[in-house]
Amino acid sequence: MMKTDLTLKDPDAFYEAWLDAQRGLSDEQSAQLNARLVLLLANQVGDDRVLAECMAAAARPFSSRRSAA
Amino acid sequence: MPDDLITATLTRTATADSDGAYELPVYPFVEPAELKGKLGRHPIVIVGAGLVGLTAACDFALRGIPAVVIDEDDSVGVRGFSSRGICYAQKSLEIFRRLGIYERIAAKGVQWSVGRTFAGSDEVYSFDLKKMRTHDVSLQPPFINLQQFFLEWYLVDRIYELGTVELRWKNKLADLKASDDHVRLFVDTPAGRYETQAQWLIDASGSHSIVPRLLGVDAHESKVFDRWCISDVRFGHVPPKERWTWIEAPFNENRAVWQHLMADDVWRLDDQMAPDADPEATARPGVVSDRLRRQFGPDVKYELVWVGPYAYRSRCLNAFRRQRVLFIGDAAHVMSPFGARGGNSGIQDADNLVWKLALVLEGRAPDRLLDSFDAERRYAAHQNIRITDRTTRFLSPPTPTERRAREAVLSLAREYAFARAFVNTGRLSTPTKYEQSPLAVGSGGGGHMQNVALELPDGSRGDLVGLLQFADHALLGLIFGEIDAIDAPQLEALEERYPVRFFCVRSDEGSTSAFPTVIDADGQLAAQLGSSGTDLALVRPDLHLAGLLDDASVGEIEHAVRTVLGIER
Repeated sequence: MMKTDLTLKDPDAFYEAWLDAQRGLSDEQSAQLNARLVLLLANQVGDDRVLAECMAAAARPFSSRRSAA
Repeated sequence: MPDDLITATLTRTATADSDGAYELPVYPFVEPAELKGKLGRHPIVIVGAGLVGLTAACDFALRGIPAVVIDEDDSVGVRGFSSRGICYAQKSLEIFRRLGIYERIAAKGVQWSVGRTFAGSDEVYSFDLKKMRTHDVSLQPPFINLQQFFLEWYLVDRIYELGTVELRWKNKLADLKASDDHVRLFVDTPAGRYETQAQWLIDASGSHSIVPRLLGVDAHESKVFDRWCISDVRFGHVPPKERWTWIEAPFNENRAVWQHLMADDVWRLDDQMAPDADPEATARPGVVSDRLRRQFGPDVKYELVWVGPYAYRSRCLNAFRRQRVLFIGDAAHVMSPFGARGGNSGIQDADNLVWKLALVLEGRAPDRLLDSFDAERRYAAHQNIRITDRTTRFLSPPTPTERRAREAVLSLAREYAFARAFVNTGRLSTPTKYEQSPLAVGSGGGGHMQNVALELPDGSRGDLVGLLQFADHALLGLIFGEIDAIDAPQLEALEERYPVRFFCVRSDEGSTSAFPTVIDADGQLAAQLGSSGTDLALVRPDLHLAGLLDDASVGEIEHAVRTVLGIER
């Protein structure tokens, strides 16, 4: 089951670190960084069902447009 | 309508068509003794009778220390274009409880429990503080909203009531010369300029203080810059008594807007402006009125109480002490208003400084103790600036990448609880834990002790602040364990030599002990110290824990007391 309650101890510190990691990068570099990050984090999660749920949740804002097209 | 609310024109408001403005008290200029030919050296001079300067002054008055406060104005509250606080957090309320004005603040101020956060026309999420579990054990609430001038007013009343401290209105600092053991001040008044001297000078004169420049104390300034405009209004129709926050307000060109309630049904609307906006233009009555109509509809009825545009850049002095000069409040550090960290951290600056300076003046601690004020409060300022800069970064994303990150947060926050933790509309001021303080002893020290209910040694129902008053603002040695019969007289001898008072803490009245006994019936005092079975907790007069001492000998306890007093390094 995908967790939807907060598990991070210090979410503000994570958010800051995530933005700092992208500071000074071009849009393309930033997208590359985030793609690499997703793959690294997926390997940490290591659970196919959870990953599928997370992907569906992340894609939700775009899914209606895709099915309409 | 409360009797202290007089609807009259407020001449100090430069821009508002102020039907609903407050009439503030005006205090008399009294010709200082120096102008009659008396050159004095005052133990303490405080520059600035704002919230922070008055907090320090009131604390000195409470201790019977004759301080002199000089202020260029003759009233409290608004002067010119400046941002003013509206939210007072728990630690500040506990300090005001000690200073004796908490009851007035609680009676006048307001609290909200429901908060709503919006982006565009959607509510992203809402919360009700009453339904959230907290670990709050303080007798004071997490916060009270109140116009800053009311606090200043109550502090002035209290200072006059206590005596001891002299408030000099219409006294403007013009120049100063600092030396090793005193400061010479040159002060302008309506009756002319005079010179006076201070053994110690406290600069609480705000972000435009001339003192750092005169002394060559540099500041570190951040690149963060943000511009806002405050409109304090009273509505014909009262909106729900909730805090509403827009991260992207459609009626404010998709910039942020805050809607907060204060006393007397006055609402504060704080609108984020474009970075290049002309401050005077944003505060014109016609412009304010357009903004309010866009937000509340074309028929909104309101009275304008005050309008103030402001901009900020985070800034922190590189030293909060220079010889005999100490910097507190906005004179020492400026940060964004999010989380009410400016005013509340200034109040904590005063709280941290006054007990130390009082002991130094009384000759009970060396002046090195004041270096710990610099270390602890500059650390706190850096923490607060870091936390408020994060909020600014969320509210004004500086790059397209950061704006995309925020969009992701907002879209997830509508659905998932975890993502709401990233929505950063300000993190309410909390007392700083002094990591690596020069005054830390034993283990676990640095954190703040909440003001829990206790039964005091005289059998009265009280609280931790009351115990501090009972102990005459000395260090508190709270004994949880058993005391050896041989140790008791030696600990009493420490009370003779140092400003420390020992108390035995018990959970019930049954047991007797060698020292005055405090009953911690609910175990909340013990629980705050974390680990159970602590023998002795040494608590500072600002109610921060100096540290826990387990199985300590009298010699080790004495060393700890001397460390907290700055005698030992």
